[in-house]
Amino acid sequence: MAKSLMDLHDVELAALAAAGGRREFGELVRRHGSAVRGLLRRMGAQGAEADDVAQDAFLTAFQRCAEFRGEGTFAAWVKRIAARLYLKRKSRDARYVAEIETEEAAPAVDTPGLVDLDEALKSLSETERMCVSLCHGAGMSHPEIATAMNLPLGTVKSHVKRGLDKLRARLAPEPGQYVPGRDGRSLHVG
Amino acid sequence: MSADEFDPMIERLFSRSPHLPDAALFAAGVETRLDSGSRIRTLALTLAGLVGGVIAVRESLNLNLNLGNGDVRPATHAIQQGVQVATTDLSGALVSGLNQLGLADMSLGSMGGMQLFWLSAGLLIALATAGVMKLSQEG
Repeated sequence: MAKSLMDLHDVELAALAAAGGRREFGELVRRHGSAVRGLLRRMGAQGAEADDVAQDAFLTAFQRCAEFRGEGTFAAWVKRIAARLYLKRKSRDARYVAEIETEEAAPAVDTPGLVDLDEALKSLSETERMCVSLCHGAGMSHPEIATAMNLPLGTVKSHVKRGLDKLRARLAPEPGQYVPGRDGRSLHVG
Repeated sequence: MSADEFDPMIERLFSRSPHLPDAALFAAGVETRLDSGSRIRTLALTLAGLVGGVIAVRESLNLNLNLGNGDVRPATHAIQQGVQVATTDLSGALVSGLNQLGLADMSLGSMGGMQLFWLSAGLLIALATAGVMKLSQEG
């Protein structure tokens, strides 16, 4: 008996998509579309822009489906494609600023202990947010990020570390630690 | 929380993506773009095939090479001999094909060697274009 699309594993669907199966690829998009769009939003893309890049990423993935060998997950593979496309778009638009000194993080918007990752990421600078998302969301190594963002490796490592420190302060604050609140005032975590 | 404990937690948080309410709409958008890309490709290939076909037909009607001309250079002569051999082979293949189809009485005598060659080339181009189109639609 033939399996329905929903019963097929990602690797099987990708193999069928590589042979031209658009319905099979559509099932992959339904399964992983939200994850790819979510990553792009975490990297700092706004709603419509994130969706545009995510669509481009899936179209690229369809054209290159034969290259997917199932070594990692399909979602991780498309996420990497999407992350690279977003970086390209950012550098093309010349809105990407490499120097951390010129960046200003968005003010914190929630109370410690109640924030989720998406809210916590808003407290990072643009570059920190990008580096942390590429590292932990898209699964890219520090050298890969350095190449993709055209930044020195040491700078990437600094951004990732500083970004993680900020996230830790918001997501898992130590007792007695002061973290920035919504209005810029420090809040004490008891 | 130490960095060693926090890093896996961050990985877990990143791996959890909320299911967006318009996920179906997004998937439909991707499928629409896939279909429209395929249509454009088909259109471009059809157009290329038509242009190629028109050029082949025009060449077959206009070309008037004299293959028996003795003043041509050796290289040109060699090419002409090759064309003649190819034309003879194609004619033979065509005649035997027609024989198999029971159309042995069909007359090709009114067509010149070069015209037959270009006609065959045009047919091959059309076949190749159809094959490429088929492959691109599958791909």
